[in-house]
Amino acid sequence: MLADAGPVSEPMRMAKRMTVFLRILLAVGMACGGLAPMRGAVAADAKRLNVVFVNPGKTGEVYWDMVSQTMQAAGRKLGAHVEVLSSERNYRTMQELGFGVVARSDKPDFLILSNEESAAVPILEAAEAAGVRTLLLSNTLIGDDAARLGPPRQKLKTWLGDITTDLQTAGARMANALIGAARAEKWQSRDGKIHILGIGGDEITPTSIARNAGLKRAVEAAPDVVVDRMLFANWTQSEAEHVTTNYLSWAARKEIRPAGIWAGNDPMALGALKAIAAAGIAPGQDIQVVGLNWSEDALREIKAGRMLLTDGGHFLLGGWSIVLLRDYADGCDFAAASPHVEVKTSAITRDNLAAVGDLIKTRAFDRIDFARFRAKAGHCGQYDFSIDALISSLPLPEGAAD
Amino acid sequence: MRNDGDMTDPDCKQQAAPPRLRSVVRAMIWATVPVLLLVQLLASAGVEASSFWSQIRQLDARIARVAESRAELIAEPLWKMRYDQVTSVLNEIMHDETIAAAAVYDDTGTAIARVVARSAGQAVAEISRPINYSNGNMAVQAGRIAIAYSHAALYADTGSRLVLLLVVGLFATFATLIAMRISANIFIGRPLAAMMSAIQRSKQDGRAYPADVKSSNEFGQLAHAFNAMQHTTSGALDRLGHMAAHDPLTGLPNRRSLSEHLVTLSHDAGSPDALIAFCFIDLDDFKGINDTFGHDAGDKFLVHISDRLRGAVEPQDWVARLGGDEFVVIRPEVSNEETAQRFARQLLDTISEPIRLHDKQVVPRASIGLAVRRAGDPELSHLPALADIALYHAKTKAPGTVAVLDEALQRDYRRRRDLELAIPAGFAERQFEVWYQSQVDLESHDVVGLEALIRWRHPERGLIGPGEFLPLIERSGNNGRLTRYVLTDACRALQHLAAAGRPHIRIAINLPPSELADHSLAAELRATCARFDVAASLLELEITEGSLINNMASASETLHRLRRLGATIALDDFGTGYSSLAHLRRFPLDKVKIDKAFISEIPDSAEDKAIVGVIASLAGTLGLTLVAEGIERAEQAKAMREMGVRLGQGFLYHRPQPLEAVLLWLEGQPAHGSRVLEDSPSIAPEFAV
Repeated sequence: MLADAGPVSEPMRMAKRMTVFLRILLAVGMACGGLAPMRGAVAADAKRLNVVFVNPGKTGEVYWDMVSQTMQAAGRKLGAHVEVLSSERNYRTMQELGFGVVARSDKPDFLILSNEESAAVPILEAAEAAGVRTLLLSNTLIGDDAARLGPPRQKLKTWLGDITTDLQTAGARMANALIGAARAEKWQSRDGKIHILGIGGDEITPTSIARNAGLKRAVEAAPDVVVDRMLFANWTQSEAEHVTTNYLSWAARKEIRPAGIWAGNDPMALGALKAIAAAGIAPGQDIQVVGLNWSEDALREIKAGRMLLTDGGHFLLGGWSIVLLRDYADGCDFAAASPHVEVKTSAITRDNLAAVGDLIKTRAFDRIDFARFRAKAGHCGQYDFSIDALISSLPLPEGAAD
Repeated sequence: MRNDGDMTDPDCKQQAAPPRLRSVVRAMIWATVPVLLLVQLLASAGVEASSFWSQIRQLDARIARVAESRAELIAEPLWKMRYDQVTSVLNEIMHDETIAAAAVYDDTGTAIARVVARSAGQAVAEISRPINYSNGNMAVQAGRIAIAYSHAALYADTGSRLVLLLVVGLFATFATLIAMRISANIFIGRPLAAMMSAIQRSKQDGRAYPADVKSSNEFGQLAHAFNAMQHTTSGALDRLGHMAAHDPLTGLPNRRSLSEHLVTLSHDAGSPDALIAFCFIDLDDFKGINDTFGHDAGDKFLVHISDRLRGAVEPQDWVARLGGDEFVVIRPEVSNEETAQRFARQLLDTISEPIRLHDKQVVPRASIGLAVRRAGDPELSHLPALADIALYHAKTKAPGTVAVLDEALQRDYRRRRDLELAIPAGFAERQFEVWYQSQVDLESHDVVGLEALIRWRHPERGLIGPGEFLPLIERSGNNGRLTRYVLTDACRALQHLAAAGRPHIRIAINLPPSELADHSLAAELRATCARFDVAASLLELEITEGSLINNMASASETLHRLRRLGATIALDDFGTGYSSLAHLRRFPLDKVKIDKAFISEIPDSAEDKAIVGVIASLAGTLGLTLVAEGIERAEQAKAMREMGVRLGQGFLYHRPQPLEAVLLWLEGQPAHGSRVLEDSPSIAPEFAV
């Protein structure tokens, strides 16, 4: 996703350095895994799946890298070979890659695409012609395409469905957390209302619109809350810092007490934090900030008590998609519930930070036992991808360390 | 145009007091161009002013639109607190040079963005618009935008446009001026100049020239009318010329034409040796015809004569009437003088055919002076004068004949001319001498009086008789002078006579006709007598009948005055003129002198004796003393005495002599002066002049 692929300069470099370290660690872990008896439900005789993922993002984009990584980690756990092709943020390249895959003589079992900028539609149609099954990840059909092609498996028989995250709920959850904190601290302004600043990434992309709609939904439900402004910072930290500064200054002139800042992603939340600090306000004590993405920096701020929460975990869609396809291949079709699989995100707060923070920081996704998330027999299409389920799937840190 | 100078120099213009020629084209231009310029400037200024106001309104409207459009653009970044974007959007409007400054205020009234033009001039106007932000859910006023702008650019634009208009207007005016000058010169100046030129040429040689104007406009019509007028004038001039050169009565060429014709005569002649006959014709006694038949008949008579002359000549001959009864006929080529004479006599014969006037037969008579000269004669222009000499001769010597100019006539003429020229010198050098001839009592032979007779002792020509030079004196207007000359001499002679013991001898002076009309004569006579202390009664004034006839009233008056002074009046040459007996009664006469023509044949001519006898008896009845002139023989004196003539005068008694000789002669004569006094009329002198 464009939003999560935004330039996150400093943490990115750190992450890259870490990746090198992690790969060594991963190799060691794999060796261990190979030696240890396979845990989980994958039968040895189960058919090995060939999955190709055309990654729309650029190499180094944290979100899309993490999607690929979880996808591959899940593949390893669930007997699927995942081939990742990088479009390098070029939709023409993406289409060429997709057509190339469809035209292969040795066709893969599944082709995973992301319909960014509606660029995946021709590939879907080509795959339909070639008989290659497809799954849309993160971005599904919208607008005219959705109307024209209808639901999955009707006009396009090979289009199995899609797996997306419910970002509106994420936005609402973030807002509610903010409102709850403000109410608890009684941060009402003179007018008796809780004044909140919203910082959205943009006003166009579906993912942004969904998040913003979540904020709106939550605030509409809370009559004592006012969103003074819905500002847009283009997903970036610096612009968020800029608009936040402006807002804080305006609020001061208006004699408004700003109670919280809702940011559409973590970098913007971090920008807001900077502006707050510059304005001489203590984040976490006088004002609360929420973000989304589960970024390392956000986790650090949460740990430091300056940020209330970061919502997210949708990079796990990569792993969950393999879970769906494994089940489908094994005859438990997720479409029994719906071909549209919507995964709820989860908030990381100070409370659950300890459990998942390390996983994210190290990207040790092989620690996740993806087999545990497979549908139970007779309950095809019913999945629990919550953070609690995730935490419970992880081995105890002590154990791992040992 | 020609008087450029006085337009640029007002002093010069003021000094130009006399009305100078002002070109109509120039006047037109000066009347039109300033108005044109003024109207042009006012019109363009008016248009520019209205355009200026409309531009002001447009500018206001435009700035308002800018503010509104900017407000729309700014609304979102302002609401979304992208103040940098607000500033950059605001900055864009600063490209508009009329905008001096702009500012955006948020809903708290704080200036979010403010931009000022580099050359922040005087902002005269400001406009403010609200910035309204709205999305699907809300509509709020996010702030407002204020723009300060200047009309200065508009003023500058308008000013420069005005300057441009002024320049363009000046150029247009200048171009108009040039165009007007050119077209006016073509359409007005040129036709006028053409007409002026025609007039100038016409003035120079009197002929009527047309103006060369081809155009069909008003000037063309004017020129057309002008040419028509010129044509008419030309005809009138021709007629005038004809009239100037021709006699209106007879249609013959006049005196003026004669001189012109003489000039052409020598040119037209075939050879310089060709002989030209010039006949100068003068009708005899035309005055008598006028008097008898009236002037209309006289005119008719002249027309007859001219027709006859026209009919009598050849085509190459030339006939003219010089005026009155004078005609000229020129024959350009005659073989010799004989032929010319024959031709002249032919003319005389033609003229002499009888004419009927008022049912009366009139036989015209004329004299011709003929002059024949070679065509190459340098003195050809003197032909009229030469012929006139001959004519003079004919008239005086043989009226009704042809007189040919010969050497003798010319000599006479020259002599007369020389004498005439010598008259002033004659007076100045006292060349005129008064001689005296005695009048004697035919009974007693006593000398009773002397007649003063003028002589001219010419230094070269010797003594000249009065018959020769008196006409010259008269012609040269010296009659009065000569009369006074004689009068003075006579008075002096009277002094001498008195001194010589002959105080009773009277002196007679001949009065020319012109003197009778001179009213001052009586006064002068009295003054002269007073000067010499002689009695006016000793003076006798002899007059001729002719002088009485010409001016009876005036003559009668003068004679009465003279008589009142005591002078006696004698009628001279009685019997030769009209010899109207009525004159003897009407005028105050004392004496009658019988012309010697009646005396010379006496006693042989019985007729003359009868005439003299009648005269004598008449004089006796009227109480007039008779004097017989020209007594040369004793029997004449005897006959006169017998017929009762008292006094006589003639060579028998005394030839005219200078005074000294007369005085000497008188010494030998017995003096019986008292008788004369007894016989003189008893008229008391009156000094009433």
